[in-house]
Amino acid sequence: MAERHFEVELGRMFAEAPALQDADLFALRVDERLSRGWTVRRLVIGGMGVAGGVIGGAQVLGGGLIARLGGAATDAGGQLTGKIVDVVENNLMPQSFPLNAEVVWLAAVVVAAVLAFAVTRVVREF
Amino acid sequence: MAESGTGRASAHDLELVALTATGGRDAFGELIRRHGSAVRGLLRRMGADPALADDLAQDAFLAAFQQISDFRGEGTFQSWVKRIAARLYVRRWRREAKGQAVALLAMEEGVDAGEAQNDDRIDLDEALKSLSHVERLCVSLCYGAGLSHAEAAEALNAPLGTVKSHVKRGLDRLRRRLAPGRDFAPAEAEAHG
Repeated sequence: MAERHFEVELGRMFAEAPALQDADLFALRVDERLSRGWTVRRLVIGGMGVAGGVIGGAQVLGGGLIARLGGAATDAGGQLTGKIVDVVENNLMPQSFPLNAEVVWLAAVVVAAVLAFAVTRVVREF
Repeated sequence: MAESGTGRASAHDLELVALTATGGRDAFGELIRRHGSAVRGLLRRMGADPALADDLAQDAFLAAFQQISDFRGEGTFQSWVKRIAARLYVRRWRREAKGQAVALLAMEEGVDAGEAQNDDRIDLDEALKSLSHVERLCVSLCYGAGLSHAEAAEALNAPLGTVKSHVKRGLDRLRRRLAPGRDFAPAEAEAHG
């Protein structure tokens, strides 16, 4: 019986946390390590995204997909791409900039990627 | 912002855990402030020097952050992190002791400083110094981190009987140091609670 009570008392003594003066500093250090981990993770994910984007872009361009899409759009008579090219070329771009259907599609892909990134950031923050 | 800080300070641990699980780093910071000293204290009592205790306590909180969704609220958050930290320390101790861990666990001799006199009762931290490292480890795992004898044996990779022996010898030594010539009668134990 006495032994049991000693064990209870011992558990209570162990449960008493020592008063350490640098408790806030310790919390700060853990927070810094957490931040470092997030930064590394973001860099890795970002790096992988960029690498994937470059590889994907090269594949798309190398495969002539954009040229085929541009041709299809033109052939279909929609003229949408052509009109966009005309508007941008005449109003926004310097005369020397080689603007064509491929560049427009590529820009559209980049804009979509940026929007997707922005949406994921907003979702994570809120 | 200050208002949310005040809210966090008065929030229950479980609320802070729930906020942390949804990505609330500030809430986790509050948990660290609340329980950091207890975790560091346990590691020191297990035998870690202050620098190592701080490193392992940081590792334990980082692990807790990553595994926060595993915390079911069956015990307290503090006891959960203490268990993580205790296991980290045991793993470290076994790695550093390498082949000697088995031999150390098999050793029976501690540093028996004898029985303290009635008028020089000492605190737990001092009393723990009279135990061998392995006794200290076993007692701290069971009474500080809340592991069962079987869980402590598993963590130490030692036979259950060996761990029980170390705990018993450690308790005997601690009783002689902490409560010389006294019985812990119920009324007395309550008076301490």
